[in-house]
Amino acid sequence: MKKIIVILLLCIVIISACEKDDFCVQNPITPNLVLRFYDTNDRETLKPVPSFYVWAEGKDTIFKDVSTDSIYIPLNSLMTETVYQLSTENTVNKFTINYTPNEEYVSRSCGFKIIFNEVTFTSDNTWITDFTPETLTTIDNQNVAHVQIFH
Amino acid sequence: MCKYFISIFFFFLFVDGYSQEQKKAIEETEKDSIVYKSPYGIRLGVDISKPILSTINSGYGGFEVIGDYRISKRFFVAAELGYEENTSDEDYTNSTSKGSYARLGFNYNAYENWLDMNNEIFLGFRYGFSLFDQTLNSYTPNVANEEFGEYFVPVEISNSLTASNLNAHWSEFVFGFKVETFKNFFVSASVSYKVLMSAKEPENFKTLFSPGFNRIFESNSGFGFNYTISYLIPFKKI
Repeated sequence: MKKIIVILLLCIVIISACEKDDFCVQNPITPNLVLRFYDTNDRETLKPVPSFYVWAEGKDTIFKDVSTDSIYIPLNSLMTETVYQLSTENTVNKFTINYTPNEEYVSRSCGFKIIFNEVTFTSDNTWITDFTPETLTTIDNQNVAHVQIFH
Repeated sequence: MCKYFISIFFFFLFVDGYSQEQKKAIEETEKDSIVYKSPYGIRLGVDISKPILSTINSGYGGFEVIGDYRISKRFFVAAELGYEENTSDEDYTNSTSKGSYARLGFNYNAYENWLDMNNEIFLGFRYGFSLFDQTLNSYTPNVANEEFGEYFVPVEISNSLTASNLNAHWSEFVFGFKVETFKNFFVSASVSYKVLMSAKEPENFKTLFSPGFNRIFESNSGFGFNYTISYLIPFKKI
């Protein structure tokens, strides 16, 4: 009888133990938009943006006075458009992203992620001279840069 | 005349059979050893853990009837039928599964009883299947980010989406014991480990709970616990 109790207790411990799907370890789930900045004269070389400020229209700044050649920024999954203001040395460049958000199920702990389809980019080109590509069929990961920006 | 012969024939056939039977009976008494007979019959019962869980946990409801039939000294054919309803409240999703299930299989009694006791420590195998609906009640898209958290705060989407006619098939290994507390009245507890064989998944979502299987873990396995009371209707004693 003692043996059974021990075995039963063991089973209860196993049952109540944590499983790997209790916590979402993937991060981020919903992909961000990755931008990389290149030299407009030498299009193979990365060129950091000095004194860089980034914020979405009507939101707080996400990047404040940084000098970087690559950033990732979240897209608004509730809308079909996100407008970002990219500012360097007090010159503001409006960068607009249009897309169709779609929900995709990942797992119990991670829930649903958003993938962005039919993405188009537009810019009013103040300090940015050029960017590529202008459209993307889908953004479902952030392993590679989505947009190359020349300045 | 023919009819007469046939009647005689049948008469002797009967006599022969009778004499055989009697002979056997004599042999049995001659053996003279104290054999404790154990009852054979059908045992019916209910799982009492499920109604208790239903009252404690508002997101759960369930009922299960069980039955087994003894086929040999150690083997029992066993079956469980039930209905379950459960709400899985996760970090980003809230879904409800409800439906019925059946489990069929056998138990092997590994316990050597003393005298006329009828207790069991059993190992068992079951094949289980369930038919159910799963409703995604609400969900919040996971847009959180390590660096800036939720820059665009997501809203909870609560237009419930039901996927009906889902099913699951699994195999199950059971370990437990049965104790005869009163004459023909048994109390039993068992745990089970389940391995999902196949499941029909809802579109763009996953079955998180299947009736009879309980929570489906990432590895397609599951655990179950049964606490039952049952009554044996004995047919014969061997």
